[in-house]
Amino acid sequence: MPTKDPVKIEGKNTWEEGRSKSVTFIVTEDCQLRCKYCYLVGKNKSGRLEFDIAKRAIDYLLREREFITENSVVLDFIGGEPFIEVDLIDRVCDYFKARAFEENHPWFNSYRFSFSTNGLLYHDDGVQRYISKNKSHLSIQITIDGTRAKHDLQRVYPNGQGSYDDVVRNIPRWLEQFPDSSTKVTVSSGDIPFIRESVLHLWKLGIKEVNINVVFEDVWKPGDDERFEEQLVSLADEIINKKLYESYSCSFFSKSLGQPYRDNMNWCGAGKMLAVDHLGNFYPCIRFVGFSLQKRAALMLGNCFDGIDRNRLRSFLTLDMASQSPAECLDCDVASGCAWCQGANYDSADTETIFQRATYLCKMHKARVRANNYFWNKLSRKLHQDLRAQS
Amino acid sequence: MLKYLLVVLSESSAPFCYYEKKPRKNPKRDLLPLKSLEEAVIFALKNNLKVNFLYPDHKLDKAYNALIDEVDHVKIVPFGSRETYPDSILVIESDGFPAAGELKGLRDENIIFRLRKNDLGKLSSRLNLLLMKCKRINLVLMDIEAYGAEDFEQYRRQLETVSDKMLKLSAKKDPPELSVLTDRLALDRMNNCSAGLKHLTVAPDGKLYLCPAFYYGRAGDTLGGIRNDIPIKNRHLLELKYSPICRICDAYHCRRCVFLNKKLTLEVNTPSSQQCRISHIEREASRLYLQKLKEAGGNPVALADIPEIAYGDPFEIVETKKLSIADFKKL
Ligand code: SF4
Ligand code: SF4
Repeated sequence: MPTKDPVKIEGKNTWEEGRSKSVTFIVTEDCQLRCKYCYLVGKNKSGRLEFDIAKRAIDYLLREREFITENSVVLDFIGGEPFIEVDLIDRVCDYFKARAFEENHPWFNSYRFSFSTNGLLYHDDGVQRYISKNKSHLSIQITIDGTRAKHDLQRVYPNGQGSYDDVVRNIPRWLEQFPDSSTKVTVSSGDIPFIRESVLHLWKLGIKEVNINVVFEDVWKPGDDERFEEQLVSLADEIINKKLYESYSCSFFSKSLGQPYRDNMNWCGAGKMLAVDHLGNFYPCIRFVGFSLQKRAALMLGNCFDGIDRNRLRSFLTLDMASQSPAECLDCDVASGCAWCQGANYDSADTETIFQRATYLCKMHKARVRANNYFWNKLSRKLHQDLRAQS
Repeated sequence: MLKYLLVVLSESSAPFCYYEKKPRKNPKRDLLPLKSLEEAVIFALKNNLKVNFLYPDHKLDKAYNALIDEVDHVKIVPFGSRETYPDSILVIESDGFPAAGELKGLRDENIIFRLRKNDLGKLSSRLNLLLMKCKRINLVLMDIEAYGAEDFEQYRRQLETVSDKMLKLSAKKDPPELSVLTDRLALDRMNNCSAGLKHLTVAPDGKLYLCPAFYYGRAGDTLGGIRNDIPIKNRHLLELKYSPICRICDAYHCRRCVFLNKKLTLEVNTPSSQQCRISHIEREASRLYLQKLKEAGGNPVALADIPEIAYGDPFEIVETKKLSIADFKKL
């Protein structure tokens, strides 16, 4: 009989991954925080989604069955901070369910509502009412960056005060309601010294799955890659020594990382996903909305009145890895898992194009691969030794 | 490698492709400055470039004509100026199509025929008239962004009718060429517009552009003044290799217009569905025409048979099947 794999470090796949349509509603451009790395640079109170616009967008999505063929859907509500608009979201969700039922649409039997929240309003009565009403169809991800020091370095109120305490008080309730939840951590240059202790801290808080990304933009300083590698190696040692791999996962470590490219797929799902702003405009993902871009104008695919301009989708749906990567990447021995973001690429490209891959994180990826190799080599030897000792 | 230079002599020069010219304000002031013309001519001479001059419908001063005469060139002129500039390529617009009397004097002409969508129903009758007088007709379908299913079907039917006429003319000693029907027969690889790769354009402001359409249609897309090292950012995206859709396609005659690509899909390397559908209607018409030529016992110049295919837009294939990295590297 096969024994159960004791190594949980690679985490689970998300719901219907790759098979569902992901539609992001930007319900508000307002937020209580001013996180330093946030791509939403121009926060404001006027960019609020109207119910009528959301209705039109849902009608359009349900109507275009021949064009939008996925049998499942994830309606993602983000902001700003989405729970500021929980009443509106509740109405939008009710409308979606009613219309999908009336249309006998496959999405009625296969949908999820998903949230990325800063967690500050999690205890709010309105939010809790919404959760009880939709619980079996909900994924909620509260963003907490790690230890108080790491979190408060970036995730601050407009007056500069950190938000750690206000989030952490809501974590137990969240984990009680959604025990398998994960959190997302974003690492920029200044966060590197806190990586190890932050991951361990999040696990200690009970968040078993920690998804970490380094930012795609041009923020890295000389020596960051070495400091990053040191942090990951030290984290790897701790995970192995304390057998944390049996219960926890961290996306920094993955067996599929650091091989030469085998297939020519695009990394990013922009274009297969859709984002809807408060005016009812459609975008390939939130990173193409005006407020996410530093240098370029927004890239729109259409709107909920006239529909999607399919010509504008053609580049996204045919974009592959090779057509956008420099030759160095095609020949790279450790390329797999080296990520990019189409929106960040578009923003930093020399011309208005999604076909120029930014490689600011090249050194960071290579550092991650070395630490990842260290982890798996060391772990497999240890597991082997443990097995021998047992027998 | 650059092979030729397009020089737009005036704001109101005859547009020869998918773009619209700007309305003429002052016939004198809208001319390319003489100094810029001189720069363009010297640039062409130094770089072994042939020049295509795009003429306005008014006469040019002697100084202009003298400079133009210094370099090997072709003149592209509006139909109305055919007598002033004999031996030129003539641009005929479907709205404002010449009266029968005006066509009388034509013989063995080289014509660019720009067909408005509104005139699609008249395509075969117009071509029937022109084919009698021409060596070659380059057909440019205007307003393709507005083409829908019915227009595609109408275009297919029109080409079918034209191909019957072409078949009759094929018995002549030097039968005429019609770009959308005969070009594909003589090609075994892509032969597209190649703006930015094989040619560049000097616009009436004296600056360089990928092609005239980028001057008229996309303000700000200049490559700067005429100089030796011309900076084309992301130039590789103009190459076939970097167009995921076109590189698997065999509609070799297609213009692959990077201007229309940019306008309709926002990327120079990504064609619109209209461009692909139209080129595939032409490809299919060429295939059937070749078959008919062979059945009629003619001696077609075709290099090889054109295979029958099941798609009308290569996007349908690329969307589901990506080229492997190894195959990409071989391109
Ligand atoms: S960015 Fe660097 S690490 Fe990533 S694939 Fe390219 S060469 Fe390899
Ligand atoms: S038909 Fe489409 S894919 Fe083929 S060359 Fe023309 S534009 Fe490219």
